Amino acid sequence: MNLKTDVKDILGLLARLAVAGVFVYAGILKLLAPAEEFAYAIETYKVTGPGLSLWAAYIIPWLELYSGLLLAAGIFTRFNALFCGAMLVFFEALLAQAWLRGLPVTSCGCFGSGSSNSLEYEFFQNLVFLALAAAAFRYSRRFSADAAMDAAETRL
Amino acid sequence: MIRKKNARLAALAGLVMFLSTLGVLLARQFNMGPTRPAPGFRTFGPAGAPVQILEYSDFACAACRKAATATDEMLKIYSGVIRLQFKHSPWVNIHPWSLDAAAYADCAGEQGKFKEYAALLFESQEKWEKAKEKPKEFEAFARDLNLDWPKLEACSAAPETRKRIKLDMAEAEMKGVNSTPTFFINGKRAVGLDQFLEQARKFDNLLRAGRSRPVGECPEK
Repeated sequence: MNLKTDVKDILGLLARLAVAGVFVYAGILKLLAPAEEFAYAIETYKVTGPGLSLWAAYIIPWLELYSGLLLAAGIFTRFNALFCGAMLVFFEALLAQAWLRGLPVTSCGCFGSGSSNSLEYEFFQNLVFLALAAAAFRYSRRFSADAAMDAAETRL
Repeated sequence: MIRKKNARLAALAGLVMFLSTLGVLLARQFNMGPTRPAPGFRTFGPAGAPVQILEYSDFACAACRKAATATDEMLKIYSGVIRLQFKHSPWVNIHPWSLDAAAYADCAGEQGKFKEYAALLFESQEKWEKAKEKPKEFEAFARDLNLDWPKLEACSAAPETRKRIKLDMAEAEMKGVNSTPTFFINGKRAVGLDQFLEQARKFDNLLRAGRSRPVGECPEK
């Protein structure tokens, strides 16, 4: 097992913490506000009806919080990096269709109802997070609970 | 070996998820979430006021009518040092016209007369709250206040108006508002007028001290 830390490991860690931080922050903001608020934001994308939007508003913030925390701690790191990436791809698809259709989305719902950046801005911002999630997937084995568990087993 | 390692990681993941869930639920219980600001026409007093009050109210509730009189007086007495945000919490299961009343009041607010319309709703609450059909008072109040009735009616039925009120209701539910009026005075809960007045007595001294100093001056150490 190579224990030497190189630049890629450090960058991988930073990417992992950045993506995790965004997910935890986004999740908590939504979880501490009424689900209806996020549901109304989802409805403006004109993809789901009110019922499904409300269900999504109940579930998505918890997924964001859990996956962000697990990614930060490095528990099942690659799986969580992949999961966060998949969620970002899903958000990108929603943003892109709303942008192309010219929908009047006043609040993207990304960070609770307060955020009001343009769809284009949010789309490109998510691309950056997607790149960071890819880096986290590729290089973030070090400084993680996964690695600590491996090291503990090697010692035994 | 791998199965054992994965089981340990799964247990750790479970612990992280459990603790974070607990943290979120406690944060909700202690009202640590952000509060959406009420629209300008439902907000009274300066933004930087030392006493920030959130009032969850229902136009068809008798206790809310009394509370409205008390808060009006308080806003006059402590003008400039109190900021009150009025939030709708209509009990639609027992007051069938509460939600409509809230919608009409908001739309009157958009025409610049929220407070006046709200006062009329409270004053003649008994006439309209249990009506079998849509109360005629809603239109009569609008005409009394020289509001544009067709515009008001269209506005009250608009999805945006209804959504705004339902968000207030959802917020009230999340904050554990189980009866009206419920106040949050600088974040501290007061249920009913008596508790509100009790808390008002406590901040009375603070406000008096604040008023005796010139604006912008810091309190003495």
